[in-house]
Amino acid sequence: MTILDQQSSDSLPPENGLAIINSKAPFSSSHGKDALDIALIFGSFEQKISLFFQGDGVYQLINNQDGTLLSIKDYLKTFSAFEFYDIEDIYVCQQSLSNRQLGEDFHISDVQVLASIEFGAALNRHQHVLRF
Amino acid sequence: MSTLHLVRQSAFATNDFAQCLSVLDNQDCIILMDDGCYNLKHTLMESLIKRVDASVTIHIIASHAKARAIEATTTIKHIEMKNAVELTFIHNKVITWQ
Repeated sequence: MTILDQQSSDSLPPENGLAIINSKAPFSSSHGKDALDIALIFGSFEQKISLFFQGDGVYQLINNQDGTLLSIKDYLKTFSAFEFYDIEDIYVCQQSLSNRQLGEDFHISDVQVLASIEFGAALNRHQHVLRF
Repeated sequence: MSTLHLVRQSAFATNDFAQCLSVLDNQDCIILMDDGCYNLKHTLMESLIKRVDASVTIHIIASHAKARAIEATTTIKHIEMKNAVELTFIHNKVITWQ
């Protein structure tokens, strides 16, 4: 089963777009906001973007957060604009979610939760990677 | 001699919380704030919860937890920042883990 999955992912054509890995929690640093800005800039120039959420980065997607309580402009709300920028490939590491006892309750839709191997395979299809 | 521990980092990303627990003494108090709120769901919490009431107390800053969509629990007292300031006067010293 695993071998079959591996073959099917290998047979996919390599993507030339940009992958952005989000690995930081949303409110204590500007990394998440910076990654979002880059994604939207590339999106507005019709460049292909995929977003990856790994480690503490998965906290950026969790539902019912409210940055305004911390006097922070809540950039997470802007995630709902991804579809208008044709950012459709959003991947979340399942292992990172389960380590943090988080369910698949996200504030945006069309998020793909992938096990570690598929998550790595999806990332490796990209030619360029930025990590925040 | 009691110590107030301010835990500000996620234990999923750094080793700070583990280091804090390794020096935690009886009568000490922990406040989870900022990304430290995420530690509520960390496996390190399980052993710590057993010490609550017996020797240590744990607090969490309510607004910091709520902003991160972290649900309230009964074993851990939700406090405001002004209460955290009061706690710094009650304890002999303060260690910030960040």
